[in-house]
Amino acid sequence: MKKISLIITMALLVLLTVSAAAQEPVEIEFWHAMGGYNGEVVNDLVERFNESQDEVHVKSQNTGSYNDTLTKTQAAVQSGSAPHIVQIYEIGTQVMVDSGIIIPIEDLGRDVVGDNTFDWGKFLTPVSNYYNVDGKLHSMPFNSSTPLLFYNKDAFREVGLDPNDPPQTFAEMVEYAEALTIRDEDGSIERYGFTLGIVGWFVEQMAANQDAQLVNNNNGRDGRATESYLDQEAVVRFIELWKEMVDQGIMLNPGRGWDGANQAFLSGRSAMIIESTASVGRFTNGLEEMDDQLGTAFLPRPEGVDRGGVIIGGASLWAIADHPQEELEAAWKFLSFLSEEEQQVDWFEKTGYFPVTKAAVEKEMNTQFFSESPNHLTAFLQLLLSKKAVSTQGALIGTFPEVRQIVEEAVEKTLQGDMTPQEAMEEASARVDRSLEQYNSLYQ
Amino acid sequence: MQKQDFKTHKSVPYLLIMPSMLILSLFLYWPTIQSLILSLYRNAPFGSIKIYVGMQNYFTLFSDPAYLASLIRSALFVFITIFGGLIVSLMLALLVNKKLYGIKVYRTIFFIPYAISPTVAGSLWVFLLNPVAGHVNYILELLFNVQVPWLTSGVFAFTAVIIASIWKNMGFNIIFFLAGLQSIPDSVYEAAEIDGASSFQILKDITIPLLSPTTFYLIIMNIIFTVFQTFGIIDIMTQGGPADATNMVIYKLYRDMFINFRPGLAAAQSVILLGLVLLVTFFHFKFGSKGIHYQ
Repeated sequence: MKKISLIITMALLVLLTVSAAAQEPVEIEFWHAMGGYNGEVVNDLVERFNESQDEVHVKSQNTGSYNDTLTKTQAAVQSGSAPHIVQIYEIGTQVMVDSGIIIPIEDLGRDVVGDNTFDWGKFLTPVSNYYNVDGKLHSMPFNSSTPLLFYNKDAFREVGLDPNDPPQTFAEMVEYAEALTIRDEDGSIERYGFTLGIVGWFVEQMAANQDAQLVNNNNGRDGRATESYLDQEAVVRFIELWKEMVDQGIMLNPGRGWDGANQAFLSGRSAMIIESTASVGRFTNGLEEMDDQLGTAFLPRPEGVDRGGVIIGGASLWAIADHPQEELEAAWKFLSFLSEEEQQVDWFEKTGYFPVTKAAVEKEMNTQFFSESPNHLTAFLQLLLSKKAVSTQGALIGTFPEVRQIVEEAVEKTLQGDMTPQEAMEEASARVDRSLEQYNSLYQ
Repeated sequence: MQKQDFKTHKSVPYLLIMPSMLILSLFLYWPTIQSLILSLYRNAPFGSIKIYVGMQNYFTLFSDPAYLASLIRSALFVFITIFGGLIVSLMLALLVNKKLYGIKVYRTIFFIPYAISPTVAGSLWVFLLNPVAGHVNYILELLFNVQVPWLTSGVFAFTAVIIASIWKNMGFNIIFFLAGLQSIPDSVYEAAEIDGASSFQILKDITIPLLSPTTFYLIIMNIIFTVFQTFGIIDIMTQGGPADATNMVIYKLYRDMFINFRPGLAAAQSVILLGLVLLVTFFHFKFGSKGIHYQ
């Protein structure tokens, strides 16, 4: 009798362990480029997902900057240890499409997993348009932002400008910046009217804002881009404005990157700045600390030019194909979790990146979020009022990271006075053409 | 007694160097061979496409004015950094060679920059030279009422990177100069003083010639340091800009590899760099003991 009960217990134990093993969650890896505070928000989202169910466990890892993440993904793919989901910046889109290692999320959701309940129309059109390649959504929109003109309302009042009448055209930018610049008795500048970090992104956006394309073949959307439009009027006009304002001493050149310009605006050394919409929260708080009030406006454009609009920037999440079926299913579960309303609202309110789904925007409308923070509304309206065209859909360029560097160098050459804007952009354009030719020749 | 017969134990020396050979091959020789091979190909990002192109990457490089310019720029940078660095270090070494109370504290202070990472060093200089909130411009403004565009103008950015590199490597040079100075016997100085030599003559005719082995060694080490180790400082301070003014060979290599996704071209650049370092090392071995005053 005793023996039998022992055997039964043993058998039960074995059964239990086996079934426990069967319930062991599927583990997937998620690489992202969100550091600092935004990184914590990402980790919170991952944790919330892990706690919400016990079939999938997501391991998130910060892999450095956007560029580092792309490089590390390349290395990982070649050594056979690729993650399941990876966050890639918008300008890495073409290279990911060409990589041959990804599975478009529309294929993942529809065909691999067979999820028929997912609403593919739930994303904001300007957002999904960017990541839509060959008629298919290739990656899950995640952190999205556009540039916006920020200004210090108190600085406007101080010099007699109407704080509710921000500059709208290039000519007005010069006029306003002139008025906002303060020089001391020695002639050295205490406050600049405007500042802008040398970042290629702004040049791309300024072209789109004039409804101009960056490269041929409909911004690389109809076929591989082979020719750059950097030397055309839209871009050159903006670089000319940039140089003119810096030369006149009404605009601070803080050098390459974001930090210098940010510091200048937050410390009151500059009265206006163009920066990412993801900075609305930070700038609002920063100016409040100085007892100043933040204003926002759409990007300026040259007089008499029709308004194009802004291109969505930021990054999206890509699924890597070479994994077993159950891990792909797990990856899909996590991706669709992130696109749910609750997570989107949370992400937006904590980081300032746009919510990318219509439901989340509606929710924010209903909770009066926009009437309480009008600067977020400016950011939204600028995006939603953008013309639906290839110019604002954004360019697809295989060597986009390199193109950005070439543009930044050209701006530096102009500002240093080595070349005129036209010359610098012609040189840049020729370099981009060569870069495109080399890249395209690999895929022939 | 067992007889020690080396003829029958021919394999022993090989066995003994095995561990270090293994490590060297794994971490040095194998990657070197890999770069050599890689430099003969053109690769698509993610390695999905690989096209054999022979020496084309090298031809591309040497017909690219930007690469030739970066070679010349790097040579100029290395020359100024080493020349300036060694003079400053020698002067400081002479000062901290004095037998003063608490001199060890000073020696440590001068050595600290060498111990911190290039990233931290670069960030410190960015803070100091920041056009908006930097201390250097603040002081210049107070004293001379000038604002220097440190990192946004080519000439100044080049100067700034040189200053940062000299500062960073100073500690290493001072330590070696100090050791060199202390190995010069006091009797030589005493004799010179008795003969009535001035302190400048002592420096010119005794200290500097007797330090020449140290100086030579430092020049070689500094060449290698400045070519490779400035990467971190440049990456943090200027990212090769503005308009390529600080784009040295090592930084261009990094950009081609990790931003422009041209592994073949980057590998070719690393092979060229390897060649240059081999040349310097050869020069070191060949002439290291000639024309230099050893006691």
